[in-house]
Amino acid sequence: MVTSLLVSLWAGICAIDDIGTQMIRRPLLISTVVGLIMGDLQTGLLIGATLEVMWMGVGNVGAYSAPDIITGSAIGTALGIISGGTATAVALAVPTSLLAQQLLILYRSGIVYLNPIAQKIAETANFKKVFRIQYVPMIFAFLIRAVPTFLAIYFGAGAIDTAVEALPDSVMDGLSIAGSIIPAVGIGLLMLMMIKKGELWVFLIAGFALAVYLDLSVLPITLIALPLAYLYDLATREKETKDESKSDDFDDEEDYDL
Amino acid sequence: MTEHNEQNKITKKDLNRIFWRMQLMNVTNNYQSMQAIGFLSSFTPVLERLYADKPDELKTKAMKRHLEFYNSHVNANALIMGVSAAVEETTAEEEKETVTSIKTGLMGPLAGIGDSLLKFTWLPICGSIGASLALNGSVIGPILMFLLYNTVNIGTKYYGIHIGYKQGVQMIQGAGGNFLQRLASMANVVGLMVIGALIASIIKVNVDAQITAGENIIEIQEMIDQVMPGLLSLLVTFAVYRIFKKTNGKYAPQLIVGIMILAILLTMAGVLA
Repeated sequence: MVTSLLVSLWAGICAIDDIGTQMIRRPLLISTVVGLIMGDLQTGLLIGATLEVMWMGVGNVGAYSAPDIITGSAIGTALGIISGGTATAVALAVPTSLLAQQLLILYRSGIVYLNPIAQKIAETANFKKVFRIQYVPMIFAFLIRAVPTFLAIYFGAGAIDTAVEALPDSVMDGLSIAGSIIPAVGIGLLMLMMIKKGELWVFLIAGFALAVYLDLSVLPITLIALPLAYLYDLATREKETKDESKSDDFDDEEDYDL
Repeated sequence: MTEHNEQNKITKKDLNRIFWRMQLMNVTNNYQSMQAIGFLSSFTPVLERLYADKPDELKTKAMKRHLEFYNSHVNANALIMGVSAAVEETTAEEEKETVTSIKTGLMGPLAGIGDSLLKFTWLPICGSIGASLALNGSVIGPILMFLLYNTVNIGTKYYGIHIGYKQGVQMIQGAGGNFLQRLASMANVVGLMVIGALIASIIKVNVDAQITAGENIIEIQEMIDQVMPGLLSLLVTFAVYRIFKKTNGKYAPQLIVGIMILAILLTMAGVLA
């Protein structure tokens, strides 16, 4: 009871952060704290890392609302820790994030009613009043994530436990294996957004090769990527200035003889 | 240009008040006017300063001007608010449409740059570093992710307002915009190398099946590893990428469920382990 209240409180805080400061809002950070609350930091970290990569390319773009990764992470991690594993966490996080997404859409449609209120405040010509318009929506934003999280953890824990026990081992094994393949979805989405030019593929392959053959971890590869990015910028900039100078002046022709 | 008296000049403190207020900018993000209310509620310190001794109807007009549809990237908003503050300060009452047109002109392109730099590059890089550490059971992972991401997150918001105000529109339309584009393409390179590393370190596909050829038992996984370690991880990711490319990034949840079912079936059949 106390843990489910604390986790839902945390989900509510993350909800405010999501529409506010945007400092937390990612599975790795959410799940780690859920792990701390539930007294199982290690599992929290593992689940958080898997969900983080799985939902990597997911985010609100424009008017499109993405699956609610906050509620999904909080519920998935809590129930995953209760029933012992990343597999159940992933299996639960996906459907809950999709259900909670509907609540987010409801929230953003519901607060359309703030527009006439804002217009009325404008009529009063009182600048001080504008900021207050945000207080009530914040309470709703807190509730639409905290309440489902509490209900799911408080009432779902028992049900999940029996369901997991009833499932044959091979299904659970299969789910665990799926857990280490599913991050490909997040990575695939990111690639879709990042590979804007065909030539950029070589950098992906280079990163992969450094990790596979030299056993380097992500941080050193990021650092190696920095000078390469700089060189890439130099190379592409050279090309552009060349194109420009070709069209309007021929004075320093020998400069680009190489 | 109009002259303005010293009292009506925007101070550094006003800009800092915008910084604090814009932390709640998305609370009122709705399907009708998107971030318009958030923009106004963050931007009021500037209006309070500039309209302090103006009649009420002008105050109302100013507020309504900033309640028109507006939507951009949360971090880019800082820059736009800085620029808008500069424009508000230097335009006369009858040429205030400039403010709106500059705002709406900037919100689209800057949202694109904000998304590609922060949401799809810097955040994934921080997440990748954090996740790969966390998978080895290290708490440093999430802590590092939090610090790395938020240094940039808070930094761009704070300096965005001040730089935007100081340099005005020229910065974004001139060399500054060019710089942002170059930064985006450099970030792209770093991001893709990190993605490559991530494929190798996080996605694990292990084949358990064997081939019996006469007396020899060949472990398929060993064979694959000889060709290239992690080859299957690369192929699976490439397959997912192809699917997204065809479907334009839709159906991610369905794909996740599909992978789950496929993995369970293949494990039952003894192909994966």
